[in-house]
Amino acid sequence: MSEQIDQALARKYDAGFISEIESETFPIGLDEDVIARLSAIKGEPEWMLEWRLKAYRTWLKMEEPDWAHVDYPKVDYQSISYYSAPKSMKDKPKSLDEVDPELLRTYEKLGIPLHEQEMLAGVAVDAVFDSVSVVTTFREKLEEAGVIFCPISEALHKYPDLVKKYLGTVVPRGDNFFAALNSAVFTDGSFVYIPKGVRCPMELSTYFRINEQNTGQFERTLIVAEEGSHVSYLEGCTAPQRDENQLHAAVVELVALDDAEIKYSTVQNWYPGDENGKGGIYNFVTKRGLCEKNAKISWTQVETGSAVTWKYPSCILKGDNSVGEFYSVALTRGRQQADTGTKMIHLGKNTKSTIISKGISAGRSNNAYRGLVRMGPGAEGARNFTECDSLLIGDQCGAHTFPYIESSNPTAIVEHEATTSKVSDDQLFLCRQRGLDPEKAVSMIVNGFCKEVFRELPMEFAVEAGKLLEISLEGSVG
Amino acid sequence: MLSIKDLHARVEETTILKGLNLEIKPGEVHAIMGPNGAGKSTLGYVLSGRDGYEVESGSVEMDGKDLLDMEVEERAQAGIFLAFQYPVEIPGVSNMEFMKESVNAMREAHGESALSSAEFLKKAKEACKQVELPLDFLKRGVNEGFSGGEKKRNEIMQMIMLEPKIAILDESDSGLDVDALQVVAKGVNSQRDGKRSFIVVTHYQRLLDYIEPDYVHILSKGKIVKSGGPELAKEVEASGYAWLAEAEGADA
Amino acid sequence: MSQWLNHVLERASTVDDWLSPVRAQALDTLKQQQWPTRRTEAWRYTSLHPVADLELKSSTGNATAEAPVIEGLNSLDLVFVDGQLSTDISKLKLPEGITISELSAPSEPAEAIFAQVKPSRHLFGLVNDVLAQQGVVIDIAAGAKVEQPIRIVNFASAGIESHQRTLVRVGENAQATIIEHGSGSGNSLNTVFAEYDIAEKARLEHYRFALHEGEAIHIGGSHFKLHDHARLNSTLIGYGSQLTRLDVDIEHAGEHAFAKFNNVYLLAPRQHFDLHSTIEHASPNGTTEENARGIIGDRAKAVFNGRIHIHRHAQKTLAELNNRNLLLTRGAQINTKPELEIYADDVQCAHGATVAEIDEEALYYMLTRGIDRQQALVMLNFGFVQEMVFQMPNKALADWLQPILKTRFESMMEKQ
Repeated sequence: MSEQIDQALARKYDAGFISEIESETFPIGLDEDVIARLSAIKGEPEWMLEWRLKAYRTWLKMEEPDWAHVDYPKVDYQSISYYSAPKSMKDKPKSLDEVDPELLRTYEKLGIPLHEQEMLAGVAVDAVFDSVSVVTTFREKLEEAGVIFCPISEALHKYPDLVKKYLGTVVPRGDNFFAALNSAVFTDGSFVYIPKGVRCPMELSTYFRINEQNTGQFERTLIVAEEGSHVSYLEGCTAPQRDENQLHAAVVELVALDDAEIKYSTVQNWYPGDENGKGGIYNFVTKRGLCEKNAKISWTQVETGSAVTWKYPSCILKGDNSVGEFYSVALTRGRQQADTGTKMIHLGKNTKSTIISKGISAGRSNNAYRGLVRMGPGAEGARNFTECDSLLIGDQCGAHTFPYIESSNPTAIVEHEATTSKVSDDQLFLCRQRGLDPEKAVSMIVNGFCKEVFRELPMEFAVEAGKLLEISLEGSVG
Repeated sequence: MLSIKDLHARVEETTILKGLNLEIKPGEVHAIMGPNGAGKSTLGYVLSGRDGYEVESGSVEMDGKDLLDMEVEERAQAGIFLAFQYPVEIPGVSNMEFMKESVNAMREAHGESALSSAEFLKKAKEACKQVELPLDFLKRGVNEGFSGGEKKRNEIMQMIMLEPKIAILDESDSGLDVDALQVVAKGVNSQRDGKRSFIVVTHYQRLLDYIEPDYVHILSKGKIVKSGGPELAKEVEASGYAWLAEAEGADA
Repeated sequence: MSQWLNHVLERASTVDDWLSPVRAQALDTLKQQQWPTRRTEAWRYTSLHPVADLELKSSTGNATAEAPVIEGLNSLDLVFVDGQLSTDISKLKLPEGITISELSAPSEPAEAIFAQVKPSRHLFGLVNDVLAQQGVVIDIAAGAKVEQPIRIVNFASAGIESHQRTLVRVGENAQATIIEHGSGSGNSLNTVFAEYDIAEKARLEHYRFALHEGEAIHIGGSHFKLHDHARLNSTLIGYGSQLTRLDVDIEHAGEHAFAKFNNVYLLAPRQHFDLHSTIEHASPNGTTEENARGIIGDRAKAVFNGRIHIHRHAQKTLAELNNRNLLLTRGAQINTKPELEIYADDVQCAHGATVAEIDEEALYYMLTRGIDRQQALVMLNFGFVQEMVFQMPNKALADWLQPILKTRFESMMEKQ
C-alpha cells in the first residue's frame, strides 16, 4: 500500500488543459446553464455538451425509483453544487491532529501507514516530483504496452474519438434515473483502453489516476478492452474516506470485445454515518458490462458502510460463448440498508453466468439481494448458476432475497439456490473453547462464509477485504 | 488442580448432574465411564462453559480460581481443553487458519508473543505426524468432509498444539476401529508429561487398554457412584452396567 | 383504469344481504385500489388486459351440471355452476361431525364469515368479497375425523361472469379432506376464493384443481391459517388458460405447525398460468415444504412467485421452497421468483429454482436406448411432475389424475 502512496505523492498534476476559472465552485442548483459551464470549465468538445444536455432533458422527465426495501429521505437535487474546485492548500487540515480521531482510529486498525492516512484524510501534502519516481516508471510501462489509463476528462481531450465511440453504449443516457443524472453532470472518472491482444502488464488501481478532489460524487468510468485483451481493474479502498457528499451516483461501463477479458474488483468501505445512520453515504451506482463473442467480464465486490446502497453490476452476454461472473460480499450493520445484486442478460448462444452472493446482516440492518437472470429466446444452450447465501448476526436484522428468473429458451439452464443461516452456536462454542473470544470467532467464521468470493479478489484486495470485515463486525457481536 | 465439589447442573429443564465430586491432581488420568444418559458429556460441557448448561449449585475450582465464573474462552486460556464427541464443521475456514488463531490467542493470554508462520508450521507438522494426518489436511476447512476418524484425530492434534493443563476427551473413541483408536491413544499418551491431567470419558473399556488411567470413576444418574483403579474398568467390561441398578436401589 | 372494475363497484353497491356490513368494508378497500399495470409488482408478468374492459352476463341461475366422476373417490359433492349452488344441501347425507351451510343463509355474525384468513391485498379477493353471493361454509367439529372427502366443484360457462366463495373451519384435533375442483373453457370470468381456518392439532388434506382452459379467465385463491400443531397437506394442479391466476397464502399463526404444499402446472400452447404463493411464518417452530414443478408448452407462459416471509420472532422455523421448470419450445416462457424475507436468525431457510436442469445419468441412459435428447429431457421432466402426483395422499385422486396429466403432456409434446 505504501508504494502506491509514494506514487500518488509523486504524481504530476497536468494542468495543460484546465482553464483559469477552474478555481471556482458553483452555487447550488442544476439547470442547462450549470451543465454548460461545467462542460466549458473542462474544455470539453461540443458533442460532449450536447450529450450531457440530452441526458439532462431525459432526466427531467424521469421519476426517482422507489424500492420497497430501501428507505431514505429524498434528495433535493437543487441543493447540491455540481462543481467544486479542488481544495486549495490552505483550506485543508494541516496535519492529522486536525482530523476526526474516529477516522484515525480506523486507519490505525487497518494498519495504514502515516502518509496514506494523511492522503485519505485530505491533509495538505506538498507534491514532490521525482522524475525517476515509481509513478513515472508505471506510466512508462503502460505506454509501452499501448494501454491508456487516465482521467476521463483527459481522455476527452487526448482521445475524444475513442470516448465518443463507446460512451453510453453500455449504459445509455436514459437507462435509469441516476444514470441519466450522472450522464448530465459527471465530473470525472477513469478511462481505460487496452489495445488488441494486449495483456495489461499490471493491475490498474484508482490510486494511479490523477485524483481531483470531490470528483467522487458523480463518477463516470469507461473501460474498453479490444479483441483478445485482458485487464484487471481495482476500485476503492478499505479506509473510509472523509466525504461531504452524501449522494454518490456513479456509472461504470465495461466493453469487452471478442475474446477480451475484464476483471473489475471493488473493495469499498463507505462512511456509515453515526449510530443512527445520519450523515451516511447514499450510494447509487449503475455498473454494466457488454460481452462480445467469447468475452468475459467478472465483477467482484466487497462492500460495507454506506447508509443506503443501490447497485446492480450487470453483464449483457451478447456474444456467443461469452461469460459473466458476479462475486459479492455485502455487509450491513447498524441501521444500514443494502439492496444490491446483479443482472445477467443472456442473449447469445452458450453464454454462461455465475453469481455468488454472500450477504451478512448485523445490528438492525437489512440486506437484500435483488437479481435478474434472463435467458432470451436466442440463448441456446446457455447456463446460469446462482448461489445466494445470507448470514444473520443477531435477531434484529433482516436478510432478503428477490431473484427474478425469466427464461424463454428451452435449452437454457438456470439453477438458483439460496440459503439463510446464522453463525451456529456449535461453531461459536468450538472457537471459544479453543481460546478465541466471541468477536474474533464470529469474524473468522464470517470470513470462512465469504471465502468463495474473497478467492476471486486480487491478492492484496483479499487481505484488505478480510481486515475490513473484521473491523466492520466489531461491536456487532454479543 | 481441578476441584469439583457437589456439582449440580441442568440442561433445558432437566437436571443431569446431581452432586458430582471429583479431585484431579496434576499429571493424573481419570477415566469416567457410565451408561448412556448418565451425564458424561454434560460434565465436559459444564466444565468448558457451554451455553445452555446451567450450574444449579456446587463449585469448580481450577488452581484455586473459580472456573464457573469465567467465560468459555477464558477457561480455555486457563488451560481447559475439550475434545468434542461430534466436532462441528466450519466451512471456508482452513484448519491452518483456525489453529493459528487459536494458538496465538492462547499465547497472547499468557503474555507470550505470537508464533511466526514458520514456527507455527513447524509445530503443526509435528502435531500432524503424531496423529498420522497428512500435512495437506491443514488446508481443508475445519472438519469439512472429514471422516469420523479424521475428526477425532483432528481433535487430538488440536490438543497437542494447545498444550492444555486439563484435557477432557469426550468419547474420543466412539465410532473408531482399532487402528484409529491406537492412533488417538498414541497421540494422547505422547502428551502425558506428569503435569498435564486428563479426563477420559468413555462408554467402553477398550480405549483404556491403550490409555491407562490412574483412576476410574463410574458415573450414573449424574453422580459418581464408584471409584477405583484401572481394574474397575475391567470389571465393567466383564459385567456391564447392570449392577448399577442394584447399587442405586441400595442408595435410594 | 378498468371499465370492468368500475362496473364491479357499481354492482357491489346493489348487493344487499346479511353480509353487507363486511362487504361494505371490502368495498371501501377496493375503491382505494389502483388497477394493476405491468409496474405493479404483484402483476408484473401477467397482463390484465383480457379483464380490463370485459363485459359478461351474470348467471341466470338455471344451469345444472353433474360433478365429474372420480372412481373410488366417493366424495360428497357441492356443485356450483357459474357461482350458483346447484346441489340441494338438505338432501345430502352428511358424515358425522360436518355441518354445511350456505353463504346466502345467515347463521352467525357476518365478520366471522369473511376474510378471517384471506389477506386484503388481493384485488380479486376483494371483488369476490363484494360480489360473491353464493358459497358454502363447512364446519368440521372438534375431534371429528372425517374420512369422506368433500368436493366443491365449480363450473364456469362461456359468456358468464361468476363469483364463488368457501369457508372451511376445521375444529381442534379434527381431520378432513377438501377438494376444490374447477373447470371452464369458454370465455368466462370466474373468481373462486376459499378460506381455511385450521385449529389446534387439526389436520387438513387439501386439493385444488384449476383445470380451466381455452378462453376461460380464472382468478382465485386458497388461503390457510394454521394454529398450534396444525398440519396441512395441499396439492395444486393447474392447466393455464387465457388467464389463470391463483394466490395461495399459508400463515403459521400458531407454533409447531406443518405445511406441505405441492403444485404442478402443465401449460398447453398459448395458455397463461400465474401462481403466487406466500408463506407467512409468524410464529416460531413452524415447518413448510413447498415444491412447485411445471412444464410449459409452446408459446405458453408460466409465472411463479414463491414468497417466504419469516417474522422477527419466528425462531426455529424450517422453510424450504423448490421450483423446477421445463420449457418445451422456444416460444415458451417462465418467470419465476422465489423470494425470501427473513427477520429471525435461528432459522433454516432455503429455496431453489431451476429451469431445465438435467439429470445427466438418466439422460445418458435414455440416449443409449435410442431416444433423442429433447424427448428424453421431456420424459425425465414429466417424471418429476408425476412424482408430485404420486405424493398425493388420496390414492383415488392420484389414480384419476395421472393418466389425465400424461395425456395432456403427450398432446403438449405433439404440438411442438
